[in-house]
Amino acid sequence: MSAWRRTVALARKDLLLEWRGRETITAMAVLALLVVLLLGFVLGAEPPRAPAILWVALALAAMLGVARPTQAEVEQQALETLLLYPGSREHLYWGKWAALTVLLTVLLALLLVTLGVLFNVDLWAKLPALFGVGVLGIAGLSAVGTLFAALVIHVRGRELLMPLLLLPVALPVVLGGVRLTEAVLTDAPGGGLWFGMLAVFDILFLLVAPILYEVVMEEA
Amino acid sequence: MLPIAVQTQGLSRRFDLHFALRDLSLTLPTASALLVVGPNGAGKTTLLRLLATSLRPSAGRATVFGHDLVRGADAVRQITAYVGTAHGMYEGLTAKENLAFAATMGGRPDQADAVLKRVGLFQVAHKSVRTFSHGMKRRLALARAWMLAPRLLLLDDPFSGLDAEGTLLVDTLVAEVKSAGGCAVLATHEWERGLHLADTIIGLARGRQVEAAPAAEVSGPRLRALAGGRV
Repeated sequence: MSAWRRTVALARKDLLLEWRGRETITAMAVLALLVVLLLGFVLGAEPPRAPAILWVALALAAMLGVARPTQAEVEQQALETLLLYPGSREHLYWGKWAALTVLLTVLLALLLVTLGVLFNVDLWAKLPALFGVGVLGIAGLSAVGTLFAALVIHVRGRELLMPLLLLPVALPVVLGGVRLTEAVLTDAPGGGLWFGMLAVFDILFLLVAPILYEVVMEEA
Repeated sequence: MLPIAVQTQGLSRRFDLHFALRDLSLTLPTASALLVVGPNGAGKTTLLRLLATSLRPSAGRATVFGHDLVRGADAVRQITAYVGTAHGMYEGLTAKENLAFAATMGGRPDQADAVLKRVGLFQVAHKSVRTFSHGMKRRLALARAWMLAPRLLLLDDPFSGLDAEGTLLVDTLVAEVKSAGGCAVLATHEWERGLHLADTIIGLARGRQVEAAPAAEVSGPRLRALAGGRV
């Protein structure tokens, strides 16, 4: 029970700080919208392009923001205090993961609306399914991103390192997200395979990452 | 003889090839306070961070109220409060929100209002910590330690940035921890301000223990020499 309360308290604290500062979500949203506009102009704002553009924008914006909740602890000189609270450090992982997942979900909602308007995609009828696919992918991105943010926490040039680490590992999420979104939009068969891939990715990283996080944060 | 609160045997910590703390052995009884004196780089902060379980020992062992620092790290964290040189507060949160967060994370009841009154910050409880002076942030860090009701209180440079009233807060906090059967460890080079709190004094220089004696037996000139690293 107390582990659950700690997880909620940490996620709530991160989201409250983000709500008051709005630094991470603003930067991620601006980058994502620029990517959507740029790719829309280059490739053409046609409905079949929308799934790929959605996931590329989401992944690139995630690269920018995944490390922020963890890095903010270092910048505020609060990391040591945080690590010295009792209890397993897994709940720190889950708190950071939850905060990041909420942030990326807000971004997803913004992107879906933008794509619906700019690409003339009939999203509204399939909005719950599209949102579900997005959250499935975001859960995996957050799982990997939270772990890697801890891994590079004291590394010089971590802003450069983060995309290099995250992008290759997140490729299955982007690929699966694109294909599953296409399947949802076109009612094409074969979505089950991509759903399975995303689900396996999520389960795998959500099982392994918290354990690795404890090891990484042992003496952060 | 009083029960043991803290015991270290050959406690060492190395960063790469450099020993920040080497072969420290000490025993602290309950209801006591230790003053750690030494110049910059003597190993004072390293000792506190080892006892707080923020660092793992490179060699040796230590127990805090019977809990091993490494194997029982979580048990040690449940009874320890560490106030480091960084205040560890979130500047975007209010004083009250910071303490409420600390209470939840520390598994303690939220007594933010009560402790904010004690440290004289109740009037600014709902103001963002970003607007606080250095001294007010130090007071808030003391309030957090108070709320966590620790058995082992670790204070690193506790008088830094505090006015006379703030110094009295440190005195009261240490006295309360001692009277509850706990133990306080203060590391400072402002030994004059912490001397009256201490039952035992150890001197550190270049990571080694160069003095260990009851506070009453260490003279002023000797303390000055220890704090200045002239030993």
